[in-house]
Formats: sequence, structure tokens, C-alpha cells
Amino acid sequence: MADATHDGATAADAAARLDVPPERLALARQHAALLGKTAARVAVGLPLTADVDDFRRVLTREAQP
Amino acid sequence: MIDLAELSALRLAAAIREGKVSSLEATEAALERLRAADARTGCVIALEADEARAAAKAADAARAKGESGGALAGVPLAHKDMFDRRGKVASWGAKIRADRAAAEDATAIARLKAAGALQIAALHLAEFAYGPTGHNYVLGHARNPWDPSRITGGSSSGTAAAVACGAIAAGLGSDTGGSLRLPAACCGIVSLKPTWGRVSRAGAMPLSPSLDTIGVLARHVEDLALMLRLIAGPDARDPAAVALPVADYVARLDDPVSGVRFGIDEALLADAHPGVQSKVEEAAGILGALGMVRGPCRFADWQTLDHLVQLVQLPEASAAHAAFLHTRADDYGPQVRARVEVGHCIGAVDHLTALRARGGVLQRVLAETFRDIDIAVLPVLADPLPRLADLDIGGGARVQSAMGRVVAYTRPINYLGLPTLSLPVPRGGGLPNGVQLIARPFAEARLLAIGRAYQRLVPPEIAHVL
Repeated sequence: MADATHDGATAADAAARLDVPPERLALARQHAALLGKTAARVAVGLPLTADVDDFRRVLTREAQP
Repeated sequence: MIDLAELSALRLAAAIREGKVSSLEATEAALERLRAADARTGCVIALEADEARAAAKAADAARAKGESGGALAGVPLAHKDMFDRRGKVASWGAKIRADRAAAEDATAIARLKAAGALQIAALHLAEFAYGPTGHNYVLGHARNPWDPSRITGGSSSGTAAAVACGAIAAGLGSDTGGSLRLPAACCGIVSLKPTWGRVSRAGAMPLSPSLDTIGVLARHVEDLALMLRLIAGPDARDPAAVALPVADYVARLDDPVSGVRFGIDEALLADAHPGVQSKVEEAAGILGALGMVRGPCRFADWQTLDHLVQLVQLPEASAAHAAFLHTRADDYGPQVRARVEVGHCIGAVDHLTALRARGGVLQRVLAETFRDIDIAVLPVLADPLPRLADLDIGGGARVQSAMGRVVAYTRPINYLGLPTLSLPVPRGGGLPNGVQLIARPFAEARLLAIGRAYQRLVPPEIAHVL
């Protein structure tokens, strides 16, 4: 599954439903694949418990008004 | 004789309160300057002269009756045209727009109105606030007030140009990847991107809700302080607006800045044009002259930050635009269309990874980058003020790389959500540019005190149009 996401195939199914010329779609997939490599690297170091709300918690905990 | 173009909103409000000038006189003068600014820069989408005059007369009548009014009673302002206003349809800088008039004001607009401010115009922005240069392929490109062949920066292009021309003292904008800081730097004014969650986004056009931040552009730092004090705070209409107390930023403008520690990531700065590097060092010299102390500063992995912020922004913008992209794709300008297409190619797992990693990344940046400093200093633009023609690339193959270069120093900061003040570097008769000062969460009062002290040495300037 991870490979399918990182080569853009899964997400590109959604893009394919749009009326996007092939050359632009290829550029979009290429850019998404580049970002996906970073996501894969970051995911390796991420604990299972990491949560999208951690960001708000850190912001308010570290507040220096 | 009061020069109304030079006054800050804070001082204009005092002059109106003291009867030295009427709101109607101030509004007529602002309308005249705004017409001239628009002729030079294309900063206006809709001039609302009749409504502005009626509101000014009402403000003068209220003062004559002894009513105290608010902190901005009778002061003419104008804002980026992306905020709901009851009974009006915001343009969003687009051909595609809301299909019905707003039922109520955006929270930031309502709070300024409650303080007595007038809105005299709706101002230019990049299409859907999705562009960092001021190009708009639907409404026409904004032009820089100092040199109309150059960019204004975007997406809050109209507010920046109008403020720089002295048409208005201040106005609202938004920042998802640099949209307050870039136009402020390009137009030679100041801006404050508050901490994410400090200001309610309710009623503002969403682009990427995890990043979108409402803020202020002005010539005088004291107006950033006043307007932030008015618009900040919790809001039942925006659950992300935090309940932390709002400081009296105006009262704290004269907080001491001597001894405040700042740093510049010199490896990161080396990626900028040499002319920009020298301007940043010049600004650092000014901070040193204020008694601030330079220390070590290093962002561990800037490129990772830049990729993570794109993994958040691109799919969120694409999701927001999915309905229009499926039904009205041909009504987009080429650049925004190309950008909203990219987000559809990013997988949900990658998007969620970027969001789940965000808290830990912020924690590390605070522990490491800010270990020995209070303020990180970076350029706003990597290059000297670009020409409009050089970045007039539509939706072509260069979009990601060219836009990426424009936002290279601004976009990653949105991932961190940190408050950021943009200050103009001394022009020395040349073109404007700027530096950004990044602080710990909710340290806006400290940033504003530094900005106020900085402006004693680098006073605000006006690009005169009359």
C-alpha cells in the first residue's frame, strides 16, 4: 500500500477524474512523488501515538505571551 | 496642518476623537488617495465611496452627540476582498465566487467594525489567495507602488499597495504560505502574521485551514498592535481560535528590547541572492544597535519543513476547490488551476503523516533552533524585488519551482505556526525588501516591541501617488 501511495498511483486515480492534460498530470505526479519520499522518511520516525492535535497542544503549552 | 496620509490609524483615531479632523474629511482624503493608488497599482476591486461617506457622517454625528466610539471610531480602512460582510459577496479575487451574499460579517471584520472602523473598499488579492506574487490571471495583476514593473507580492497584494501609497493606514490580509509577509516586504511596509489560532478565521475564505492565518499590514507597527488587540481572541465560530488571554499589545509597545537574543541561520541565508544577504545583515546591525544580542541559530532541516508544509497545503487547497474544479475548471486562471490539480495527486497517508508529525517537529524547533535565541531572523524574499514579467508564467511547467523560490523563506514557517513580523530593510533609495522576525508561540507583544524600536531607526515611508 505504501508503495502505491508513494509512486502516486493511488492518489492519481483521483487526479485522473479531473480534466488534466497528460503533461500537467505527469508534472503533478512527479511533484507529489517527491513530497511523498519525505513523508515516507518522516513516517518512519513517527510514534504510533502521534496525533494531529499534538500541534495545538505544543503551541499552547509553549505559549510566551 | 495634519498630513492625513502620514498618520497611523492609532493617531488618526485620536485626531478624530479630539475634533482635529472629521471622519468625513479623513474618508474623503483616503478615497482620493485610493483612486490614485489604484490607477498606479490596480489595488482596488471595489471602491465603496457612497457607503464610506455615509458611515463617516454617522461617525461624526455620533461624536457630536458625545458618544465615545471605539478605538478606531471613524477611521477609514480597507481589506483584502476575502472576508464575509453582511449583504455583500466577496470576490475572493476570482471569477468563481460565493453564490449568495454573506449572512454575517467575518469575525475580524465584525471586531474592527465594533471598534468604529470604516471599510471604504475591497482590495485586490491573488486568485483565491493562492499565489505569492500579486499576479492574478482573472482580475489583472497588481503592480508595485515603488516601481509598477515589479510585483507587489501576494496574496494580500491590494492591502499592501494601498497601505504603501498612504491611501489607508492599515488593513487585513491572510497568510497561508507568506501572503502577509511577501507583499509587506515587496511594498516596503510592515505586517504581522500572528500565531496560528490567535485570530479567528470565521467568515474568511479558506485555502488551507491547518495553515490559514489572518493578520494585519500597516506602515506603522503601532497599528499592527492596535488591530491585533482588536481582532485576536477566542471565537465560538472558529474552534481553532485559542482562549489564551489577549495582551494589550499597544501598552506593551515600549517593552524593553535590549538584551533580547536573536539569530540568523547563516547556512540558510547563503541560499539567498547576495544583495538580499547584505540587506539582512544590515537589518541585523540595526537590531544590534537596539541592544539586541546575536546568538547561534540553525533550522535543522529546512527542506523537510518545506515538503511537510506542502503536504498539508496542497491537498487541503485541492479539497476546498474540488467542487469548483469538477464543475467550473475553465473559470480558473491557469496558475491556480495547475496548483489545485497537484493536491489531488498527494495521498491521504502522506497528508496525515505531515499533520501527525507537526507537533513533534514544532517541539524540536523550539528546543533546538530557539535554544539560545528568542527571535530567528530570515529574509522574506530570496531575491531582489522581481519583475512582473519574469514571474508571469501562468500555469506552465515552472510553476512549482518558480513559486517555490518566491516562498522559500516564508512557507515553512506556516508549518510551525509561529508568529512572524515582517519589517522593511532600509531602501537607501532603492527598491523595497524585507526581513522576517520569528518568535515563540504567542510572543506577538515581544515582536511588536522590537518592531516599534526598529521603526525609530527605520521610519515608515510612503510611495506618494498624489
